[in-house]
Amino acid sequence: MFSFQTIVENFPVLLGSARYTLLISVLGCIEGLILGAVICAAALSNKRWMRRIAALYVSFFRGVPLLIQLLAAYYLLPVIGINVPALAAAVLTVGLCAAAYLSEVLRGSLNAIPQGQAEAAAAIGMAPRDVWIRILLPQALKIGLPAIVNELILLVKASSLVTVVGIVEITRMSQSIAAATYRPLEIYLAAAFIYLVINLVIAQAGRMLERRLTV
Amino acid sequence: MTSQTAASAHLRNVNKFYGPFQALKDVSLDIPPGKVTCLIGPSGSGKSTLLRCINVLELYDSGEVRIDDQLIGYDSPGGKVMAANRLREMRREIGMVFQQFNLWPHMTALQNVAEGLERVRGLKRPEAQARAREALAKVGLADKEDNHPSHLSGGQQQRVAIARAIAMEPRIMLFDEPTSALDPELVGEVLGVMKQLAAEGMTMVVVTHEMGFAAHVADRVVFMERGEIVATGSPRDVFNNPTDPRLASFLQGYRERNSLDF
Repeated sequence: MFSFQTIVENFPVLLGSARYTLLISVLGCIEGLILGAVICAAALSNKRWMRRIAALYVSFFRGVPLLIQLLAAYYLLPVIGINVPALAAAVLTVGLCAAAYLSEVLRGSLNAIPQGQAEAAAAIGMAPRDVWIRILLPQALKIGLPAIVNELILLVKASSLVTVVGIVEITRMSQSIAAATYRPLEIYLAAAFIYLVINLVIAQAGRMLERRLTV
Repeated sequence: MTSQTAASAHLRNVNKFYGPFQALKDVSLDIPPGKVTCLIGPSGSGKSTLLRCINVLELYDSGEVRIDDQLIGYDSPGGKVMAANRLREMRREIGMVFQQFNLWPHMTALQNVAEGLERVRGLKRPEAQARAREALAKVGLADKEDNHPSHLSGGQQQRVAIARAIAMEPRIMLFDEPTSALDPELVGEVLGVMKQLAAEGMTMVVVTHEMGFAAHVADRVVFMERGEIVATGSPRDVFNNPTDPRLASFLQGYRERNSLDF
């Protein structure tokens, strides 16, 4: 028999663990966007060594599974004398990984902006930093918005991997409850529901932002 | 708004290559202050390249380009490429208007004009916006300040682009085919604003296919072909007594395309 009772009883605890999912996702997303913009700027730099670093960064963080990255951050950093709490290591790693994908999204979006946009800014004597922040980035974010929303949703789901470094977020919590109640079906359905709601909210926010940016 | 003195520009033996293709061949030209100089010629003749060498959107390979007596692009003739911040300082004095307007689509008309005043001239926002409003009023668009470019006609967009340039109080203005992307019925309003600027004594260099504008507003017309200046003179000389056969054939072609005789 399907037991709604189990869901109702355990839902508050499960929902409570969602705060770690949200914390890792939100912080990872902020880190990923800022660092992604920096990596993208480096990838488009006219200095070869900066382009080289950006390319290396992207191929590493995109080419190695996030799971391995998390384990590496958790187990390797202490070995070289850097002791970070599990949560900090998780946020950092998720953000580093997201930055690799987001920098590529931004790079593609920037290539879609006509060259005249930056030229018009350069012609009135605007500094490269202002051209980047005031002219190019806002347009790239708009063009790339659907792809960025995609990445953020993937990020929320990828946050379930941080269980391997011992953080009890939604997935880890549902595993524990399922084991204790012998009701895996109900508990995992409840977990799925929470993920779904979070991602629907992100998708809806993305659509609203897209409409607002369309002038 | 044109309180500062108009600048002159001087090109000496300027060469520009794109790979093996030579876009400018040993071009020398003096642009007098406070006058309108129109560059005409077939497409691919190097007019736009010449224009873009004046504010170094294209870096010329050899020769000298000066604004008044100040070299732009290089530290010294044949020397090192000019430092970026020094180039930016010089560009503040040189306004440019593009064929495709190049307005920033995520900003309103007012923001487009005020942006440079804030970021480049360092004005506080209220002051920048006040000056931007003056510039918009000057091009007849005071009532459109809250419109985004996508909600303006091509002619209005180009006038905002002109306002964006003149708000910076340049001493010389470059126009790169400013009416070529416009529907014919919208050309007049843009040319009208340009005539007004000319009447105020702005130094203007205009790459154009509008022979009528060149004939009536230019002080001097420069005809280019294959990266070279082939003929220069007053509009009367160039249009009525073309001595060079290439110029004569270019004008003949233009008249045939624009003739209403059947």
